[in-house]
Amino acid sequence: MTSDVAASAVPAQPRSPGPGGPDGIRTAGVVRSFGAVRALDGVDLHARAGRVTALVGPNGSGKTTLLLVLAGLLAPDAGTVSIDGYDPVTDGPAARARTGWMPDTFGTWDSLTAREVLRTFAAAYRLPAASVGARVDELLALVHLSEYADRPAAVLSRGQKQRLGLARALVHDPAVLLLDEPASGLDPRSRVDLRELLRRLADDGRTVLVSSHVLSELEEMADDAVFLSRGRTVLTGDTDATLGTAGSRRPWRVRALDAEALQGWLTSVHAAWRPDDDGVLIDVDGDEGAARLVRDAVAAGVPLVSIAPAGGVLEQAYLALDEERR
Amino acid sequence: MNGTWRLSWHGVRTVAALELRQRVRSTRWIVALVVWFVVVGAITALTTGALGTLTGQDTSPLHRGPLLFFVVTFLVLGLGLLVTPTLSSTAVNGDRAAGTLATVQVTLLTPAEIATGKLLGAFAAATAFLVASLPFYGLAMAMGGTRVLTLVSVVVVTAVILASVCGMGIGFSALTARTAGSTVLTFLGVSALAVFTLVFFGLTLPANTSQEQVRVWGVSPSSASSALASDATTSVTSPTCEWRVETRPVTHTERTWWLLAANPFVVVSDASAVPQQDLRTVTSPFAAIREAIRTARAGATGVSNECWGPTGQAALPTEGPRPSTVPVWPWGLGFSVLLGAAGYVTAVRRLRIPQRTLPRGVRVA
Repeated sequence: MTSDVAASAVPAQPRSPGPGGPDGIRTAGVVRSFGAVRALDGVDLHARAGRVTALVGPNGSGKTTLLLVLAGLLAPDAGTVSIDGYDPVTDGPAARARTGWMPDTFGTWDSLTAREVLRTFAAAYRLPAASVGARVDELLALVHLSEYADRPAAVLSRGQKQRLGLARALVHDPAVLLLDEPASGLDPRSRVDLRELLRRLADDGRTVLVSSHVLSELEEMADDAVFLSRGRTVLTGDTDATLGTAGSRRPWRVRALDAEALQGWLTSVHAAWRPDDDGVLIDVDGDEGAARLVRDAVAAGVPLVSIAPAGGVLEQAYLALDEERR
Repeated sequence: MNGTWRLSWHGVRTVAALELRQRVRSTRWIVALVVWFVVVGAITALTTGALGTLTGQDTSPLHRGPLLFFVVTFLVLGLGLLVTPTLSSTAVNGDRAAGTLATVQVTLLTPAEIATGKLLGAFAAATAFLVASLPFYGLAMAMGGTRVLTLVSVVVVTAVILASVCGMGIGFSALTARTAGSTVLTFLGVSALAVFTLVFFGLTLPANTSQEQVRVWGVSPSSASSALASDATTSVTSPTCEWRVETRPVTHTERTWWLLAANPFVVVSDASAVPQQDLRTVTSPFAAIREAIRTARAGATGVSNECWGPTGQAALPTEGPRPSTVPVWPWGLGFSVLLGAAGYVTAVRRLRIPQRTLPRGVRVA
């Protein structure tokens, strides 16, 4: 559906920020072990308000554990956590009132309808009874489940359940959103909706932390990224400025109408290239290198069709990390 | 700590409504209620018929009413103890397995509100079974001989016992990761109260028995022989009795009576408010059970009245020690409630977040 529905459905209620103002999520040296397994081994991150932060890491790197700590479900063994200025351990209710958490597996009460699920959570967050009905209708419209409002949650598809889970996390209009693999099971249309919704929520001044291992998807929505590996933060930064490192050398995919002409020209100028499924991959020195490549190719009469970075910024950074680790 | 124990009616109602809504909508639940009604109804009807045949046509309904009431009470309590563990023993770990518990824990509901709501939901379901049995209590009442006070106390005590079982079930469901484990543990807990207490009481009887001297008020040998010498059938005079001391096996049930007192069936019987009756004319089994438990509590008195004549038992020449009339049921009921409360407290403590230690095999979400 259209994005203006989303705009009207997310009320710009004045939210009371924590003692430190709308500070987002801050953690320092967070450690958490399960028996002998150290799931988190020193996580330092700062997810800023007003931005969408991607939480990236391989399976078992501690993403879900970190989100459980941030949601106030697990106590860290060491380190500090601050949600909008509140510590989920010492100030649980205050922190939880500001946190919307969407787990990777969203269970539902099978015999309850979507509307009843949301009404229950509205009551659980102690929303004023008078406003619950309108709020639930808004949320159902927001995640495009209005027509399924009165059907049992058990008959919803996986993607629909996922959307219901998102609506549930938004019931109390939280300042901080923790989303664990929110896009899994969503169809392309819903993914676009999700991206637009998260953008809008961040633009309203909320802190959005999204975990996923589908990097292309994260890249489309994230402003910042935090990389977790073996329970540690190994890299944090802005997806475009820091991670993309405009001047760094990375492969670009180049396509031309006449592939042989392109390859012939590249060979003649002694450029290192390798064939790709329908074009060639060339290592280029950042955006400036790419601009130079385009200029030279056009001047040489090569019928260029497209030139674009191969693989996303996050993927590049992720793979670079992986190489470092070995 | 962080308002773990804070309770609001709003929060409790939210959780209880959630629990009940799920139960009421599942068809399994309706089937269970119907089966319950049919089973209790069938057994009540059969009992009524059997009582009619056994006691003969001339027996007044005054005797059949209390008997039927007794049968219905024990049937409802027994079946209730069988059904209730399944209503509560998956409340916490079942939700955890379904992935719904953590999403509730992160809301502003306190652990006490979640546990109380779940307890209330399970208890309401158990009460529904009790309510479905009320027609059969009514039938027994209609046959006469049972006081309204008996009906009220039996139903209330049964409800409290079932509530305690709900509390135990919720405690076990918070302690164990798997729903099968907590259900088995809850059934074991119920069996411990309802069956094992009787078994242990029986098994410890020999260990509590020793040869001791007992003062016996019995028919004197001279009186007995003279009665034999004369024509026994015409002898209607009371026998002459005398004190003598004999060495006999004596069982000290005063050491183990509390095992019986913890039994839910004993508790209901003792609390049944059936008027005290002479044992020879007893019409309600409740009174017999109450007499038995109170005698067991009094234990060995060191005195035995064996002065039997044609007109029955003669009174002791001096007032012998009588079993105390102090009721036993507060102890048993208190013990059950204590177990239920322990389960409830365990559940509240286990529902606290953020969790520091996780029980083995438990996933947060």
